[in-house]
Amino acid sequence: MTSTEMPEGSAWTYEPAADRDQRLSELLQGFPREPHLWMYALRTAAALIIRAWLRLYHRYEIIGAERLPIGSSFILVANHQSHLDAPCLVSSIPLRYLHRAFPAAAADYFFKGLPSSAFSSIVVNGLPFRRKARGAASLVLCRELLRNDGNILIIFPEGTRSTSGELGTFRPGIGHLAAGSEVQVIPCYLRGAHRALPKGAAVPRPRKLTLCIGEPRSYAALPPGKDSYNRIAADLEAAVRKLGTDT
Amino acid sequence: MPFLDSLDPVFLFYASITGGVLAVAGLILLILGRVMGRDVAAVWDTYRGWIFMAPLIFGAVWLGREATILGLGILSILGFREFARATGLHRHWWYMGAVYLGIAALCLLEVMEDPRTGMDGWYGMFMATPVFMIALLVTLPVLLNKAEGQLQLVSLSIVGFIYMGWMFGHMAFLANSNNFFGYILYLVFAVQINDVAAFIFGRAFGRRKLRSNVSPNKTVGGSLGAVAVSMALPWLLHFSFPHFGWIELVLTGLIVGVGGQLGDLTISAIKRDLGVKDMGSLIPGHGGILDRLDSLIFVAPLFFHTVRWFHDIY
Repeated sequence: MTSTEMPEGSAWTYEPAADRDQRLSELLQGFPREPHLWMYALRTAAALIIRAWLRLYHRYEIIGAERLPIGSSFILVANHQSHLDAPCLVSSIPLRYLHRAFPAAAADYFFKGLPSSAFSSIVVNGLPFRRKARGAASLVLCRELLRNDGNILIIFPEGTRSTSGELGTFRPGIGHLAAGSEVQVIPCYLRGAHRALPKGAAVPRPRKLTLCIGEPRSYAALPPGKDSYNRIAADLEAAVRKLGTDT
Repeated sequence: MPFLDSLDPVFLFYASITGGVLAVAGLILLILGRVMGRDVAAVWDTYRGWIFMAPLIFGAVWLGREATILGLGILSILGFREFARATGLHRHWWYMGAVYLGIAALCLLEVMEDPRTGMDGWYGMFMATPVFMIALLVTLPVLLNKAEGQLQLVSLSIVGFIYMGWMFGHMAFLANSNNFFGYILYLVFAVQINDVAAFIFGRAFGRRKLRSNVSPNKTVGGSLGAVAVSMALPWLLHFSFPHFGWIELVLTGLIVGVGGQLGDLTISAIKRDLGVKDMGSLIPGHGGILDRLDSLIFVAPLFFHTVRWFHDIY
């Protein structure tokens, strides 16, 4: 019997699930997440409830949904006033892409303890972002995510919820992802969340919510570097601010 | 006691012997650990796994045919899921969905009536499921309009369905028999005894490796000892299937003794190829579902067709 060399790329490769030996808490805090049918089912059910709730209770309205380049990867960037922001932005994305929309969520807040980790991973599909230590590693995670077509990253560049309802300064982290990259960035402005569920409030009030989706932007021409990062952050901040005052 | 009197004597025998073994084992572990100060933490894990599993098994069997079929169907699904997560097939929804659907269909065929004969379980269609499933799975690349890398996915799906779904499904089909308790409880019990015997004889007489490239801990001595014990067991527990003659008893012993170990080695070979230690981590102290079911998957269909040849399964 003669053995012949397998041509390159034709050999079978096995990629076992990365979370096979993990406990539930590790599995929920880990990222990227392995596909779990039970998780997808729960997330879909939660999304249907959330979308119905937003529409009926908050008379949620989305302006400019046709601008989303669904099918390619892109970044949604928005103002941050309330815990309603992430659900609202996710609700602007077709259900088919629900499991590929990842709101960046502070690891130290949303992925602390089992119940909150379960909620943040299963319902929100959050990307655990380490805003204090190891921010660079989290950015690498985001970049890898965006390399695959169809993945959507949702980022609040202010870094925290605004208490006044005013738009805060955008941090340059978003620039790291956008500079020199073909990935499109879409500025959005969510109106009404500050009145519906301000920071510190527990129960949402029935205030109207409106999401204005702006024109996609690309920063492929800008070389990576501190200057570009600051320029991108400033440009996006201005774009979001304009959406907030125009409409 | 009226409750105990209401139970089938075969069921009662297996339930009490299992309870007795677990109680004695617990006591021994307690003495070894607490009194003699031996380190028994790993064995405790395995023991706790059994304390958890035994009531589930007996509970489902006690509830009857439908509950047993449902329970085994869930095990089938979890077993396939484990296989898929170990091979990477789990990232491919269409293949996963097709196999899940196939296993659900098997459960339905096991529980429904044969439309021709009116007997429980549609035997003919159950036996024909691989035809339809293989047809569906090899067609998936065409339906998805994808070619690259699909042969691996098709093959893994077929192995997963046939082995963890269809072959193991024979176990559930046995629940349709009039001798339901005897067959199912004997198989579960005998397979565990076979495992334990292989371990004990291996410790005592095991020198030569049985299959060094597949499972380095198994020895020829352990394996022969297990076959000997498994050959004797059907005679000792003849009341589980009083209609069996000597040929059936010998065959049952061989199937459990040899088949059980082959099933074990089969999953070991798969694990070795994949480079994983356990198939999963669902049962603490035991590894995954497949690490526990491996022997039973192999034994169930062989036993089923032996029974059917001699006595029909009803």
